Amino acid sequence: MNNDNHTSQTTPVLQVDGLNVYYGSFHAVSNVSFEVRPGEIFGLLGPNGAGKTSTLSAVEGLLKPQSGNIRVAGYSIREQPLYARANMGVQLQATSFQPELTITEIIQLYAGIYGVDLSKEQVASILANIKLQDSANKKYGQLSGGQQQRISLVIATIHDPQLVLLDEPTTGLDPQSRRQLWVRIEAMRDKGHGILLTTHSMEEAEAVCDRIAIIDHGKIIATDTPQALIDSNRERPEVIQASRKGKVTLEDVFIGLTGTEVRS
Amino acid sequence: MTTLWRNRRASLLVVLVPTVILISWKGLIGQLGGTGVLSNCITVGLTAIGLMGYTNMIARDRDKGIFQRLRVAPAPKWTIMTSRLAVQLLMIIITTVVLFIVGYKFDDISIEARGYLFGLLASIVGGAIYLSLGQIIVGLIKNPETVNVVTRLVYFLFIMIGTFGETGYLGPYVTNAVEWSPYGTVKDIISAALEPSTWNSHSSMALLVTLGYTAVFATFGIKWFRWNTR
Repeated sequence: MNNDNHTSQTTPVLQVDGLNVYYGSFHAVSNVSFEVRPGEIFGLLGPNGAGKTSTLSAVEGLLKPQSGNIRVAGYSIREQPLYARANMGVQLQATSFQPELTITEIIQLYAGIYGVDLSKEQVASILANIKLQDSANKKYGQLSGGQQQRISLVIATIHDPQLVLLDEPTTGLDPQSRRQLWVRIEAMRDKGHGILLTTHSMEEAEAVCDRIAIIDHGKIIATDTPQALIDSNRERPEVIQASRKGKVTLEDVFIGLTGTEVRS
Repeated sequence: MTTLWRNRRASLLVVLVPTVILISWKGLIGQLGGTGVLSNCITVGLTAIGLMGYTNMIARDRDKGIFQRLRVAPAPKWTIMTSRLAVQLLMIIITTVVLFIVGYKFDDISIEARGYLFGLLASIVGGAIYLSLGQIIVGLIKNPETVNVVTRLVYFLFIMIGTFGETGYLGPYVTNAVEWSPYGTVKDIISAALEPSTWNSHSSMALLVTLGYTAVFATFGIKWFRWNTR
């Protein structure tokens, strides 16, 4: 799944440098730095409340960090937010679209917002590509969760952005829909999009991510490829203790590094 | 606009309530005057648009994450609210024109041309007070169900106290309070605008108070508003 040939020697599509986010006196994100390269799926993993959503919200421009620099395709999210957002496609965790609009109307609406001129044939082709051609006139609210996710992903990439942010995109999907979405995410990576993915599924992270950062208590505690993370941590006593059936997985490494305590 | 059309049943109800009141109040024209009855009904319509239409739309869109999705798009934030206000502005114009037509056809309320024009402008100014009041409600309350209940209660209170308060049945204190309430001032400016020759210092004061209410409600409504429900 790694894509090292694609990602090496290329300018990052996302650069996060020294990011700090506070909620009152609570330091939610502490000096976080990482980058996402073109043609790379970068996973941001962490337990609940670790700082994933705050980091992602800062990248999306939904939250103003206290310090740090974020650049999307070279544009500062603080100084040139519209340019940065124009180069970014987003699938939010709790996003919905207007339920009374048909999916054709939603695609046309968001294409318009992103300045993309789509003909009826192009919209039909997009819908055929995600196997929703028969639902063109269905209202968004009438679609299943998997179908809504496909629409959401199409809209995230409708303007062919350099960076795609996916916030727990497969939550609540059945295994078939999840696998189908993985294929689509990989296809986006193969087209050269840089993808920042957050997920609670270690299976998903191991299957699709080229590199992973594990964040805990607001700090990045490890960054590497999934296999390298497993290899470099397999001897740690906490990881061995977390492993089951004698085989060390990414989940064991994650538990070993972030602890067994359930976070609220 | 598509959203407005798809929710046409709710929009129809917004227009229907003041229309029914207008038709049923034909007998009160002698007591309140044609413009008095018409301005009351327009005010009821504006209350419904601001409190129920706008407020519930904002509460729903915020709850469903539609705002957050729009905020990550390359469009300035003000365009998100402006698009929703534009829909309500259209509803204000439609409701006012429908009531002009119904008033003329069913209640024989005939007004000079500039009265209709000024009446429409006063409706737009008056509508802003309820839109900003709605903004305060969605600023204070995050749960869309609670917003729905609160707006219905406030709407009911405005209609009941507004319409019965000025009759004097509820006593002089209530009558005076209603006169300078958001309901009373809006009704006064619309009534005077429909009959421009009757515009006096009281009308000008009502206009100033209306603008004042709008500024205060809008300031706090915008200050307290959060784009998401978390």
